[in-house]
Amino acid sequence: MSEVIGKMFGWFNSRLPIVNTFERHLSKHPVPSKVNFWYLFGALASVVLIIQIVSGIWLIMPYSNTEEEAFSSIEYIMRDVDYGWVVRYMHTTGASMFFAVVYLHMFRGLLYGSYQKPKELVWIFGCAIYLAMMAEGFLGYVLPYGQMSYWGAQVIISLFGAIPYIGESLELWVRGDYYISGITVSRFFALHVVALPLVLIALVFLHLVALHEVGAGNPEGVDIEEFLDDDGVPLDSVPFFPYKVLNALVGIGVFMTVFAIIMFFFPEGGGYFIEMANFEEANPLVTPEHIAPVWYYSPYYAMLRAVPDKLGGLIVMGSAVAILFVVPWLDKSKAASIRYKGTYSKLAITLFAISFLTLGYLGTVGVTEVRKTMSVICTFIYFSFFLLMPIYTKYEKTKEVPKRL
Amino acid sequence: MQEKDNTRRKVLIGLTSAVTLSGIPFAATPFIAAWNPSARAKAAGASVKLDVSKMMYGQQIQVAWRKQPVFIIRHTEESLKSLETTVPKLADPNSEQIEELYRGMNATRSKSEEYTVIAGVCTHLGCSPKYHPEVEPKPWDATWAGGFFCPCHGSMFDMVGRVFKGVPAPTNLPVPPHFFKGSILTIGEDGGNA
Amino acid sequence: MSKINISIADFILMKLIMLGILVFCVNNLFAAEGGPCKDYGDCDKFKYSLNDMESLQRGASTFLNYCYGCHSLQYSRWGRVAKDLQIPEDIFFENLVFDKSIKPGDLMTGSMPKEESAKWFGVAPPDLTLVSRVRGDDWIYSYLRTYYEDASKQYGVNNLVYPGTAMPNVLMALQGNQKLVCKEVPMLAKNGGEKRDDFGNTITKEKCGILEVEESSGELSKDEFDKLIYDLTNFLVYVGEPAKAERERIGWYVIFYFLIFTALSSLLYREYQKDYH
Repeated sequence: MSEVIGKMFGWFNSRLPIVNTFERHLSKHPVPSKVNFWYLFGALASVVLIIQIVSGIWLIMPYSNTEEEAFSSIEYIMRDVDYGWVVRYMHTTGASMFFAVVYLHMFRGLLYGSYQKPKELVWIFGCAIYLAMMAEGFLGYVLPYGQMSYWGAQVIISLFGAIPYIGESLELWVRGDYYISGITVSRFFALHVVALPLVLIALVFLHLVALHEVGAGNPEGVDIEEFLDDDGVPLDSVPFFPYKVLNALVGIGVFMTVFAIIMFFFPEGGGYFIEMANFEEANPLVTPEHIAPVWYYSPYYAMLRAVPDKLGGLIVMGSAVAILFVVPWLDKSKAASIRYKGTYSKLAITLFAISFLTLGYLGTVGVTEVRKTMSVICTFIYFSFFLLMPIYTKYEKTKEVPKRL
Repeated sequence: MQEKDNTRRKVLIGLTSAVTLSGIPFAATPFIAAWNPSARAKAAGASVKLDVSKMMYGQQIQVAWRKQPVFIIRHTEESLKSLETTVPKLADPNSEQIEELYRGMNATRSKSEEYTVIAGVCTHLGCSPKYHPEVEPKPWDATWAGGFFCPCHGSMFDMVGRVFKGVPAPTNLPVPPHFFKGSILTIGEDGGNA
Repeated sequence: MSKINISIADFILMKLIMLGILVFCVNNLFAAEGGPCKDYGDCDKFKYSLNDMESLQRGASTFLNYCYGCHSLQYSRWGRVAKDLQIPEDIFFENLVFDKSIKPGDLMTGSMPKEESAKWFGVAPPDLTLVSRVRGDDWIYSYLRTYYEDASKQYGVNNLVYPGTAMPNVLMALQGNQKLVCKEVPMLAKNGGEKRDDFGNTITKEKCGILEVEESSGELSKDEFDKLIYDLTNFLVYVGEPAKAERERIGWYVIFYFLIFTALSSLLYREYQKDYH
């Protein structure tokens, strides 16, 4: 019996690179032997991606993408479908957790210089994933067709109107109607469930292939490829299986505990994960008293509001994301990790983190004069962090990076 | 020393795998349950009511219950009598091979002496059989005494939905739960006094 | 030596800037905004108890008797309410469902045509299935208890939580005639106690806008009425999310499962770490 199976496997393996791929990318893939918890968020992101895909597929089945039924079909899922509420809360919690995990993953990249040569492409694919996720999240938020879906989409689509000459016709073209109607919802639905997931999965694939080509980093910023054993395996590495897998398993356990706490006890996240106004059906004639984006967009929303010009706001918001793509060429430091970078880098990344969090808060609350000033200052710090990076990383004194982990 | 280490390792691997595997059925539950008929589907599939007093003798009408055809036949004296004579042709005259709801109550198989209530879906492959009450030779049966003929694959049933021998359909047409309150027939509910 | 000094100076500078920003944030950012309960100030706190079936049953009864005439619960089904609230179906339909043609699977779509009611009240009374999720339970609990007499309004009443509300106080017969009055209230000292003069007498000042029910003008006492509104709000919390009680029940098991999973996998991870440390 086992001989037959062995023969069959051999038949496949000589036609498909099963063993090779498995060993190269999973079982024997060398990873740095000393990493910290910051290096878990990539694995967690792929866990959430799977949760989102599975729960998403199950939500498509009972969801209705028409203007008349979109909102009530959500309540249908929450009430009439057996355990529909589990599937839906899994998806809404997953959306927020996806962003939480990805933000931490990106911050890890900034902390430990995970974008430095030769990992530029890994970083760029990552930024593209983030961009696709933002689009995916926005489109998904429109689908329940509640008040926040409607007015959030209204605000974002109006941004297209800021583009000179073609703006207004572009707005109309995106909506396909004179307001955000069932027509808009159904095209957003198609993009949310088919088009963007395809893009996301392709990008994740590229992100991982590029990563496995150049090898994962570590908090010391040491290049483990420098010292190899007789078989050509880095001395400071362990095989992916079982060591990295078990490490990830612990991370997944902690993460899923947090996930469950939110999903079963605070699914609305105090109005930050599912906004209260979104429990009211879209009404194109009445704007809710207070419009705020979901928390994961709020830093950019605060930047948008900091600029007193429609086109200017759009440009600032767009550049805030776009600038991430060129970070590998802004950092001139000899050291990758913050541990060996100079004081200016440490100061800069601290200020950057504070300003980003502050912007995040500011984006969720109403505008006052003081808050507006704060938004301007924080936006300024945000951009300074990137634009001044070539200067402060070049002229600061770095510590010597060790050779081994 | 080495030996001891491995035992601990094996026990932990076993425990972790067991816990992980035991979680899978629970994780799958909501996804499987979400495919059950929803409350809306159940509400739409609740009972249907109709007044059968206006039906003529020998008439057959069709109503939809759960979007599936249900046949109601008001029998004439003659057709009720003919039920006995058809028996030799039948595969299962007493509906012993299926779960018969109102077994032994009436010759009509229903809760009424006059009306038959049967699911209008052939037990072969789901086509809807046609009603042919005429007692006359038919292309499919030279001694036809009235009943149902399925145009899809030629299955034959008698006037109360019992299947003939030698046809593709394996069992009699099932009787859905129903009850009569005066001339009001409710299909989909038992009325509690079965 | 000088190098270290510079980095210490940098470090202190960094902390100072951070501190400055923090202080600035705390002082200026959290400027109070108008709360959801408007003229009433802070909403009264409400703590739901979805496992208290009697409370939910009383709440359902109050809703169906006093509210359902105008407000639908269009996403909720009759039979589901009876089942979740553990009311036997025959008793439920006998006593609480006034339209006898209704089947258990039907949605609670209301008994009043929308156009008709819009004519009467100026606006159509909203559907209340999700009101507890849109407004919050605190808001409902406060709103229903803060009606007061105001002759300038259409129905002779106004509301502190929802000024200018289009809904008359349908529970007035139960609550009685509530008015806004001015009263002498004790002034509070800085330590939170009552302010007293040199002779030990409490210093008072006149405060207006206090809600007070005209004595024995309603069928219920204040406590009884508060309890009635508590039950009603509790029911609306239930209707807003029927699976909520089950969700919180299942949640404990799921968390427990993942804690065990985490513990085991971290033991296993540590076991394997021995290989390379």
